[in-house]
Amino acid sequence: MIISKKIYTAMLIALATLITGCSDNKEYETAVCALADISGTYAKEKKSMVKIIQAGVVPKLVPGDSLALITIDSNSYNDENIKGKLKLDYRPSQANQQRLKFAKVLDEFADKKDGAKYTDISGAMMLCSGHLKSTGAGTQIMFIFSDMKEELKPGIVRSFNKDEFTNMDIVAMNVIKLNADSANPQVFRSRMKKWKTRVLKHSAKSWNGTLDPSEIGTYIDSKR
Amino acid sequence: MSSFYIWPQMPFLSIAVLVIASMIFLYLARTPLHLALDNLNEGIAGGLEKIAAWIKSVVVKMQEKNRKVLLESNIAESEQKIAQEFKRVEASYTKHLADYPALHLKLDENITSIDVDFKECGQVVPEAPGWNDAVESIASIKGSASGDRVIEKMLKELHKSAIDGEKTAIAEMQKISSKRHKILSAIAPTWKKILKVMNEVDTKVSLVLETSGKIEKYMKDYEKIRQGGEDSIDMLSSKATKLFVFSILVITVAGFGAFVNFQLIALPMSELVPAGTRVLGMHVSDISALVIVTLEVVLGIFLMEALGITNIFPQVASMTLGKRRILLYAVLLGLFFLASVEAALAVLREHIAATNAATTQALAGQVATTASTEGSNITVIGQATLGFILPWILAMVAVPLEMLIESSQHVLTKLMILIIKLVGYIVSIIGHLLGTIMKTFIHIYDAYIIIPTQIERLVKGKS
Repeated sequence: MIISKKIYTAMLIALATLITGCSDNKEYETAVCALADISGTYAKEKKSMVKIIQAGVVPKLVPGDSLALITIDSNSYNDENIKGKLKLDYRPSQANQQRLKFAKVLDEFADKKDGAKYTDISGAMMLCSGHLKSTGAGTQIMFIFSDMKEELKPGIVRSFNKDEFTNMDIVAMNVIKLNADSANPQVFRSRMKKWKTRVLKHSAKSWNGTLDPSEIGTYIDSKR
Repeated sequence: MSSFYIWPQMPFLSIAVLVIASMIFLYLARTPLHLALDNLNEGIAGGLEKIAAWIKSVVVKMQEKNRKVLLESNIAESEQKIAQEFKRVEASYTKHLADYPALHLKLDENITSIDVDFKECGQVVPEAPGWNDAVESIASIKGSASGDRVIEKMLKELHKSAIDGEKTAIAEMQKISSKRHKILSAIAPTWKKILKVMNEVDTKVSLVLETSGKIEKYMKDYEKIRQGGEDSIDMLSSKATKLFVFSILVITVAGFGAFVNFQLIALPMSELVPAGTRVLGMHVSDISALVIVTLEVVLGIFLMEALGITNIFPQVASMTLGKRRILLYAVLLGLFFLASVEAALAVLREHIAATNAATTQALAGQVATTASTEGSNITVIGQATLGFILPWILAMVAVPLEMLIESSQHVLTKLMILIIKLVGYIVSIIGHLLGTIMKTFIHIYDAYIIIPTQIERLVKGKS
């Protein structure tokens, strides 16, 4: 059968469109990073923090999504602070098994008694930012479980790049109020405002400091 | 505005001078300006009129073409129907009248048997001896009335013999009658047999006549369409519109069915097909599910083609019966395979959904509670049944699809004609409006230069 030139060209164009249309899933994937503060008074919140991640974040991840657990301690910008990583398989059955396995990792983390004298939130955020960027996911979310009061160890310097949080949605979760905050709410408010200004200044897509744990699922869905 | 004033310190005077100057100018330029405005009006209105006329001619051409297409397609359809009906008649003759010779033979045998029996019944019973004639002859002998003893005795003997002969004859006759009755009763079952055979023949002939009766109706329709009268065009147009609307409705419903079907198999497909890649933003697993649904529709189209219900592909229509049958079995096998795959996927889907729910519960720290076995079985059976039945239902979509393709050609052209007509009307209206505006403008112009015009008239009047 002789194929006319026009049909042949149309077929070639269609094939080229199909080939260029083929892409990997990265831009449709969601990468989540949970920063867990284990320093000072917030260390007591470890169990409730793990529960929120297990019940709120892990079930909301769909095949292809990823999750990393990073601790906030005296020197957070350290690969050892990455306590667990999860990349869900595209097969639903495998993904379920991975979820359950990661839940165990979280349980072990909750049971472990560790703490830190200083609170290096920025270091953890930088570590998380690097991790999220490396995933190449289309949606990148950073959940910070902390009181958001940073206390850096002498000698540690933390300064963000201009594009440190490009394409990242940052959420401060489960922020407990310290005694000083209760005494003067303005202290808490100005602290949160500072964080907001800081992350937005360094190209963060959004900042949310008052997210209810029960709304995590809706929040992740809205960001996809 | 003040920049236009000749004497800015005297605005009223400036305006008055400007008005008078413009009036004089417009009065002097009246003839060329009138000509210019008339030409402009003619150009615009005429141009628009020409466009409207062109649209009208296009509409007429399109209507004619649409009419021809409608007639031709319906003629072809009628011809096809008649051809199919002839095929059906042929099949009916072959089927119903194939055993007619056997029935005829049976009928002949029964009739022969009755004929033989009838002939046997028809044998004449021998009459009693003719004693009456003998008696009459003896009685007429001379002296018989004188009371001759010899004759009297003879007559008595004859009387006795006659009575005996009659008795014997009656007995013989009774015997023969009884034999005839027996033969006649033996004929009854044969009559019944004949009646049965005749009924059979009647049924078969009626069936054949019924089949051929449709041809007459189709032929009448065909003739009516060929004549191409306004009535038949209206009838065909309304038929096509009705078909279009109904086929759209059915296809919409089928579309929802396809969506349900897709949803049923999309999740389990991700378990079977690597979903790590996307094509045009869609998971490969989703595309696979879509392909399965589309394949079912395609197989459905071929099924209907092989059954002779639709006539989308002429190649299939021209196939021999044997090849068609092979195609039919192949399509049925394919559909059965896809339906089975879907049923299995539906079961897998339920399993995945249950595992997901259990995992979510476990992650939330709750004890995984499962529904009662009976309940979950019902869901699984329901989903599997749905997965098995939906492909067969989707396969039926070929019929409305063909209807849609056939009727859309006419309906869409009709719609296009309507739109073009509407554009034509709008262009006409705009042309008319512009013409009116131009004329009004000329009148206003004349009104503006009324003073110099009147002066001119007065001057002309005096001179």
